[in-house]
Amino acid sequence: MRVDVVSPESIVWSGEAEFIVAKTVEGEIGILANHEPLMAALATGAVEIVPAEGERLRVGVHGGFLQVFENSVTLLTDRATLVEGDVDAAREVAAALASEEDVDDTRAVADEGE
Amino acid sequence: MASAELRIIRRRIVSVQSTKKITRAMELIAASRILKARDRVKAARPYAEKMAEVVRNVGRASGEVQHPLLEKRDLSKMGILIITSDRGLAGGYNSSVIRLAEQRVADLRTEGVDARLYVVGKKAQGYFSYREYHIERSFLGVTDQPGYGDARAIANTLMEAYASGTIDAVEVFYTEYQSALNQIAAGSPLLPITPPDSDEDEAGDGVAGPAVSYSYEPDPAEILGRLLPRYVEADIFGKLLDSSASEHAARQRAMKAATENADELVKVLTRTANQARQAEITTEISEIVGGAEALSQD
Repeated sequence: MRVDVVSPESIVWSGEAEFIVAKTVEGEIGILANHEPLMAALATGAVEIVPAEGERLRVGVHGGFLQVFENSVTLLTDRATLVEGDVDAAREVAAALASEEDVDDTRAVADEGE
Repeated sequence: MASAELRIIRRRIVSVQSTKKITRAMELIAASRILKARDRVKAARPYAEKMAEVVRNVGRASGEVQHPLLEKRDLSKMGILIITSDRGLAGGYNSSVIRLAEQRVADLRTEGVDARLYVVGKKAQGYFSYREYHIERSFLGVTDQPGYGDARAIANTLMEAYASGTIDAVEVFYTEYQSALNQIAAGSPLLPITPPDSDEDEAGDGVAGPAVSYSYEPDPAEILGRLLPRYVEADIFGKLLDSSASEHAARQRAMKAATENADELVKVLTRTANQARQAEITTEISEIVGGAEALSQD
């Protein structure tokens, strides 16, 4: 099945995968090929991807959505970073992404109108 | 013993040449920025496309789901978001989008609709505050390299105002990047959200493909509630990026023209300077010849 992990500013990972584990607001979910159509809200946490070829990947994800549709999985994340390391490392990265968000929100200089 | 005229012209040549160095540098900077800005536009596209696809699917699947951001209200106060740059020297980039927005504000006024301005960039802020428009909020320091956080801040401000009833709808005015040579000021509605056209029904029977029956985690209403704000953010982010790429392209073109004009000006001035110099020499020679003549006559 096809997997696309995208964030607003880039494509984080894209390719063929056999299995993917993600953390939604309701708990962990594992998705194999030909999963039924699903729409879920993502929580802050680690996403594991077992690609069709190569090593198992981990992505730290903060917020967003997961869509399964016609054997294609799309993770529309608010923030995501590929992580080198185990699941715990990915979780740490995700937590860091979550705290970054608050900083980011104050970046834009918003003046009250005169 | 250069004459006053000659000295003035020479000074102008030097000044034009140093201006040319500046415009040339700005041209080169803008050129490198365009590439970066264009990459960012490209990188943001997959998310925007996927987002549109998801909103379309959810909208279709959930049918009559109600959400405040989708609801059309009677229009009495319109929020206008105008995206301009913080810095000038970009040709007509800022003025064309400002003109378009101002026209829209005037049109709304004749329809009896009050326009509330939300501006991005110092240029729009300066323009509208000078003309004593009331600006609800301005966002500065964004347009050179807009980040997603900036889009989020702008989207939140607008959605809050929309939710509280300060404004009934929002239109956004920005500059669409079509190519390095072509950028067009454009306006488009932002709120309420018009779901992305589900007109992929080639059959034309009003049924837009098969309705997908998703299973939802959590329920559809909550998913939609989370999804729609993201959609607005992504929409604004895309427009900020487009505008930013347009700004750099417009600046590059303006600075290129300025550099060429400077070259032309130096050429003309050099010619005038040479003429002045020659006129001076001629006068001097005729003075000497005249003087010698006068001496030899007695």
